[in-house]
Amino acid sequence: MQVFLIILAVVSLSLILMYNSLIGKKNQVDNIFAGVDAVLKKRFDLIPNLVASVERYMEHEKSTLEKVTQLRSEGMKSGISDEQKIALDAKLTAALGSITVAMEAYPDLKANENVMHLQRSLAEIEEQISAARRAYNQAVTDLNNAIEMFPTNLVAGWMKLQRRAVFEITLNERQNVNVGDLFNRS
Amino acid sequence: MKSASELTDFYYRELYPSLSELEKTRKEILSRLKLYAGMGIVALLLTIAWIGKKFGLFHPAMMAVLIGFIALSSIIYRWTVSGYAKDFKERIITPLIHAIDPHLLYNPGFTVSQHLFERSDLFKRSIDRYGGNDYVKGSIEGVPLEFSDVHAEYQTRDSKGRTQWHTLFRGLFLVAEFNKHFSAKTVILPDHAEKTFGSLIGGWFQSKNFSRDGLIRMDDPEFEKTFVVYGNDPIEARYILTHSMMKRLLDFQRRLPHPLFVSFVHNHIHIAVATGKDLFEPALFTSLFDYKQAMEYVNTLRNTIGLVEELKLNEKLWSKR
Repeated sequence: MQVFLIILAVVSLSLILMYNSLIGKKNQVDNIFAGVDAVLKKRFDLIPNLVASVERYMEHEKSTLEKVTQLRSEGMKSGISDEQKIALDAKLTAALGSITVAMEAYPDLKANENVMHLQRSLAEIEEQISAARRAYNQAVTDLNNAIEMFPTNLVAGWMKLQRRAVFEITLNERQNVNVGDLFNRS
Repeated sequence: MKSASELTDFYYRELYPSLSELEKTRKEILSRLKLYAGMGIVALLLTIAWIGKKFGLFHPAMMAVLIGFIALSSIIYRWTVSGYAKDFKERIITPLIHAIDPHLLYNPGFTVSQHLFERSDLFKRSIDRYGGNDYVKGSIEGVPLEFSDVHAEYQTRDSKGRTQWHTLFRGLFLVAEFNKHFSAKTVILPDHAEKTFGSLIGGWFQSKNFSRDGLIRMDDPEFEKTFVVYGNDPIEARYILTHSMMKRLLDFQRRLPHPLFVSFVHNHIHIAVATGKDLFEPALFTSLFDYKQAMEYVNTLRNTIGLVEELKLNEKLWSKR
């Protein structure tokens, strides 16, 4: 009888510990996603200004600019899921990246103080977004590992926890070694 | 900044007159020390023989004599060397620092303040004795920095109530302005646990370090193997530790034969290199003309001041200007 009680105590204690650690990991993911969301919003705030300032100059990139505006309005919609936000972020990063590259071809733009200011702000926000993405990915990996690994997978299954999606870190971001573009070198 | 070979040239060419005078002093001091040592040993042996004959070899007086002898020797040693050390710092280290950058301030007797050392949060114990020397302050490529030798100690009492001093940190401590804004705290320490116990168990131990903020796992396996990161904001830690910054810190650690401690607090980077010895002290038992010796002075200074460029602290984010 005593042995049975001891086993019961050990099992319930480990169940509680596993449950709590899973909840901790899930909350960590949600917390960091809130951080990601905050920097993504910062970027949304910047986009209308940027588009308004460059569209006069960038005739050939009209479609890209329109796409950026459209992606922004999609991202601003309330009630979209985290997965959708992640997918939108990838598209928006790519579109903004191509605008930044295209800006090189317009000397008038590079002479425009206002545009340069916006571009630098954007570069800084991109750095913050990149950091937030990496933090989120680590938290998600911790959660996903716990969901899949034995024995926490049993508890996670019972709690109906789902694997989360990670941000894809682009090759460009990996090769961030030369950050010269992000800084205003003197 | 001047290259290491330019500085070595400067050391041998421009400082030659001072070096040869100091070298003469060094030899004099060395022969004087030898004389003192000879006299001291003879005196010690005579005392020991006398005590041994009178009270026996294991008498408490013997202990007192030995301790007294060691204390006296260290006092005489310091007294003999002090003028030479002062001269050396004035005539060799000062010009060397000014050759690297004429605007740098150098004060041989001063140290980075204890407040900054404690602010870095690199070492958790409270400090009972704090000292150091060879303080350098200035601005390299627009980045304010200061560094010095630091020796921080703490005290413990054993069961008999005797106090014992332990070194918490001894080595080079540097504080410089960081090129990004941040408000959280990020501390990077050498990773002992993962090296000893492997990543699974070692990582578990690290996450259970209650004196520290949360463990932050970085997405660079090499970096993660060498260092452990603690911080209270996982996003900001990654904002500071970009892939390139991790690589630079890793490269720096690889070139160093000593453990490296780095923290980011209050918009500043704090770097502690646990060399375990006092830097920029004059050589006594090797010649000042010795190439290895010269390179040590030059390289220590150059590498420390060069950290600004190496970690690219001068590439400021535009909003920080």
